[in-house]
Amino acid sequence: MSEHPQDEREPRGAPPGAASAAGRRGGRTETEARRANGNGPGPGRGIRNLVRAWLRGAPKVGQTPADVIHRENKWSLLRYRPRAEGLTYATPILLVPSLINRHYVLDLQPGRSFAGFLVERGHDVYIIDWGSPGDEDRYLEFDDICDRYLGRAVRKVAARSERRQVHLLGYCLGGTLATIYTAARPERVASLTALAAPIDFSDEGMLARWTRTDTFDLDALVDACGNVPWALMQASFQMLRPTLQVAKFVGVVDRAWDDEFLDGFFALERWLNDNISFPGECYRRYIRELYRENALMRGAFALSGNVVRLGAITCPTLVVSFEHDHIVPSPSAAPLVDCVSSPDTEHLRLAGGHVGAVISRKAKERLWPTMAAWWEARDRVANAHDEAAPSAPPAPV
Amino acid sequence: MIVYDLWKRGFDAWEKATADYLDGVLKNPVVLGPAGALLSTTMKTKAAADRALAGWWGQLGLPTKRDQERALHKLNQLESRLSDLEEELAGTRQA
Repeated sequence: MSEHPQDEREPRGAPPGAASAAGRRGGRTETEARRANGNGPGPGRGIRNLVRAWLRGAPKVGQTPADVIHRENKWSLLRYRPRAEGLTYATPILLVPSLINRHYVLDLQPGRSFAGFLVERGHDVYIIDWGSPGDEDRYLEFDDICDRYLGRAVRKVAARSERRQVHLLGYCLGGTLATIYTAARPERVASLTALAAPIDFSDEGMLARWTRTDTFDLDALVDACGNVPWALMQASFQMLRPTLQVAKFVGVVDRAWDDEFLDGFFALERWLNDNISFPGECYRRYIRELYRENALMRGAFALSGNVVRLGAITCPTLVVSFEHDHIVPSPSAAPLVDCVSSPDTEHLRLAGGHVGAVISRKAKERLWPTMAAWWEARDRVANAHDEAAPSAPPAPV
Repeated sequence: MIVYDLWKRGFDAWEKATADYLDGVLKNPVVLGPAGALLSTTMKTKAAADRALAGWWGQLGLPTKRDQERALHKLNQLESRLSDLEEELAGTRQA
């Protein structure tokens, strides 16, 4: 196992989101440094710039061309169109976003698109769009989503490749789903990447404590609401750092002179306010067994009746956690790397928050190339194996 | 701009201190317990009101919202089962 040290360029203890996005260099924010050089306008001009950006309207998001290759209930499986030069790597990558957020966070804008970045490097990239659950989806079980839907996506993608396997990347709750699926059905998973994915729920964060209080009646919540409303979940997340909205406002005014920053900020805000409710029965099991009982870590969680043991994961595993992640703290994400049986594991521990660290300019410079290089190295190993035993042609889908 | 920069640094320090303080307050069982009780009471009231409305609606012989949700869910399950069968068929043909 190898572990990358924290990126020392990032400040420890910096507030997440836009407030920290200013980034300090030698005790000065980028804005302060620019002003000192006579290079940066004051907040007055920033506010004018902000108003102009606001008047331009909502930015376009998720613009990397993609085709729907499967649709079922509310979810669909998208394939990003490969680059004109063709594919370089044989094993496709399946991105599994969180169940309660829109998938386009991984394809936010041109230049801020992780999916687009991978396509440009010659990968065959797929993503699950979970869609918005209807009222009737209150009855969707955890097994329906994790085994039936995610399983179908994995099989569909694997069947389209010569290698009949996929590199599986799960982000946030999508990472929990991907991990559980890989542990239960490892056949078609070439590698697992858990990106800020909660695995160990024994942390003493505010939400974990709240769901464990005697007065928090999980059944009453699910029975009354059906799907757990996104507004309730968003309010809970905001309670993790109640000052964030104020800090975000000050941070954006501070950097409003930077058009590129503003474009990214408004795109991210659009995504942050475009949430999805949690299917009721799935939420009930998620909170009861994972949050309260920490069943996944204890080896007591079952998928479609089969006990899920993290030790059953033998494929190459990359765990990515972030130091300033208030939603999935590093101690919740990191333990996966010690639980799997794979001889090929890596833990990438970076500074940054839950979202910013995945889509920021720094992510483009460090996180994205590191993850892509990790998959590419595993593909080269698989290619060497394939030379000895050529595979059958891909199956029609 | 020096005044603004000083204010900004002060704000950052205030924000961090306040966030840390509120984190301690919100994690306190004295806060979390009543918050959970309030949410649970609200949800139970909503569920009771929904049940009463559904009971009245059902007495008219009309399908309730729950009835429709269950029927739609069954249809979605059938769609998924069909997809399962299509996959199995494709696998059998290949073999």
